[in-house]
Amino acid sequence: MELIGMDAAPIEVLLVEDSPGDVRLTQEAFKDAKVHINLHVASDGAKAMAFLKHEGEYANAPRPDLILLDLNLPKKDGREVLAEIKDDPKLRSIPVVVLTTSSSEADILRSYMLHANSYITKPVDLEGFLTVVKSIDSFWLSVVKLPREVSA
Amino acid sequence: MPQPRTDKGATVKSVRNHLSNPMDDVTALVRQALELSPQTEELARSRQALETQTLMLQSEARYRGLLEAAPDAMVVVNEVGEIVLVNVQAEKQFGYRRDELVGQQVKNIIPEGFAERLVSDGMRSAAEARTQQIDAGIELSGRRRDGSQFPIDIRLSPLEDAEGILVTAAIRDISVRKRTEGAVRQSEEHFRLIVSNVKDYAILMLDPEGFVVSWNDGAEKINGYRAEEIIGQHFSRFYTAEDISSGKPAFELEQAAQDGRSEVEGWRIRKDGSRFLANVVITALRDEKGRLRGFGKIARDITERQKSEEQLMKTVGELRRSNDDLQQFAYVSSHDLQEPLRMVSSFTQLLAKRYKGRLDSDADEFIAFAVDGCNRMQGLIQDLLSYSRAGTNGKALREISSEDALKMALTDLRGAVEQSGAVVTYDSLPAITIDETQLTQIFQNLVGNGIKYRRAESPEVHVSASKNGHEWIFSVRDNGLGIDSQYFDRIFILFQRLHGREEFEGTGIGLAICKKILERLGGRIWVESQPEKGSTFYFALPETERK
Repeated sequence: MELIGMDAAPIEVLLVEDSPGDVRLTQEAFKDAKVHINLHVASDGAKAMAFLKHEGEYANAPRPDLILLDLNLPKKDGREVLAEIKDDPKLRSIPVVVLTTSSSEADILRSYMLHANSYITKPVDLEGFLTVVKSIDSFWLSVVKLPREVSA
Repeated sequence: MPQPRTDKGATVKSVRNHLSNPMDDVTALVRQALELSPQTEELARSRQALETQTLMLQSEARYRGLLEAAPDAMVVVNEVGEIVLVNVQAEKQFGYRRDELVGQQVKNIIPEGFAERLVSDGMRSAAEARTQQIDAGIELSGRRRDGSQFPIDIRLSPLEDAEGILVTAAIRDISVRKRTEGAVRQSEEHFRLIVSNVKDYAILMLDPEGFVVSWNDGAEKINGYRAEEIIGQHFSRFYTAEDISSGKPAFELEQAAQDGRSEVEGWRIRKDGSRFLANVVITALRDEKGRLRGFGKIARDITERQKSEEQLMKTVGELRRSNDDLQQFAYVSSHDLQEPLRMVSSFTQLLAKRYKGRLDSDADEFIAFAVDGCNRMQGLIQDLLSYSRAGTNGKALREISSEDALKMALTDLRGAVEQSGAVVTYDSLPAITIDETQLTQIFQNLVGNGIKYRRAESPEVHVSASKNGHEWIFSVRDNGLGIDSQYFDRIFILFQRLHGREEFEGTGIGLAICKKILERLGGRIWVESQPEKGSTFYFALPETERK
């Protein structure tokens, strides 16, 4: 878990991603972000759920405003994580953006069936990737109104 | 009887004379009798004799009438084989006139058999002869006047005459019957020969209970038994013990008796105990009244066929598996290769972005090469992925407008068209059954190539289609660089290019994809071209069968 951001009212983003390279690229891309972002990283599905449920080392973890979720993860994969989040009344209002290398139609359909809030295929080139992260920043973190924490 | 039996010649003559014109004779004699005075004993006797003779002659005349009416040739012969009487049919059949026949030896018209029989039988009493020949026709050979012979059927009936025993022969020309019989016999013989000589099929007959009645060479070859070993045996011995205990042989006969025919495949046992897989057809044989007369059984050893079918299925399975593996490999490898490559590419690009001009000029150059290499590698992997996916999207095909597909391709090519000033024209294009995306992809590649490989003048591309039998042939003609005929095949191979990357960019995937898509649809693609004169790419697609 790393913290990026410097302002008093940061936006909490949980990145569920096992590839350190992708984590780093995402961090680099968010450096130019318009808002202050606290980027938290969980490197597998189990850690992601623990983070969301404040378990173990994540007891004091904040509730994220946005989740960026890779699908192919060790231990518990992204599809299961997505299903659990959307099945949990406390968590389901958190927008989940699937960010994965898979462009398979089956994965796309399945993700939306599991109530993913959007699905993005990682572009293979750097410029494309930077553009995508910038778009997430400008859309999900600036344009969109996100819900406050619900206590259901 | 007034005539003495000793003088046979006289008897014959008298009969002949009387019979030559019997009614005239009768009339004359009666007149004679009436003119005579019945005064003396002598005369009275004479009158009685005359009356007797008159009656006889009348009876003979009736006999004569019957003879003439008979449908067969009638020949009356005396004890020594002389013809004494014939009818008109006899004249016709043998080609003699009546007066030529009478008095002749019967041997002259029936050379063998008839006369001998008269002698051997010794002209026994009529009663004896009658019991002997009541309805037995004998087949002999007749000889006509011109010497030609013909088959005859003779029925003899003895006739006790005043002059002794005469034999009446009813003679029928049986040439036609003989010919028919011959043909039938020959056809039966041919059929028997065919059946007995057939080696690849066991052809046998069973009686209604399933006992073997006939056995051909093929049966011996397939089952191992010789005819004499198996005829009379029950056919269930060809079945396996399991089949016998489950009642299969009887069941198969019942089936055939019920449905007229049964066809099965199953294991059978040879004489030496070995097993073979047989295809067996059992046909119920019934007579004209519908009674079951037995069964015809035709069996074939299909062990080898079965083996090769199994082998074929196995090979097909292996081929399919290896094809799937290959497909999977192409997909997985290109997909998985892409991940680490994305890292290399992203971070070299990040390096280039952040540190260009901040290191030395060598570093900038090296980074540029690394970035370029990554880009090309990514292009290749992308192409490999699209190639492995081409034609495999499994969408249900439906009829679409090929003109719409071309328009879509032109929309995608808008940039290239505008930049090059190309003029793309097309004729009216047909509706065909294909996945629209794939046809668009084909047009995009072919029209795109026409624009890309251009000469100095502005490119012109024309698309048209024509029907050729059961297929549509599309053509995409350009006025570009053209291709040397030695490369006509090579250009359709994956990653084969005719130009350096400095001249024209691209990986050499386009035509390979077109070829793969078309071949999967049962179509084909080819090119006709001359360097500096432009190329025409053709592709053929089978016309859809309409229901």
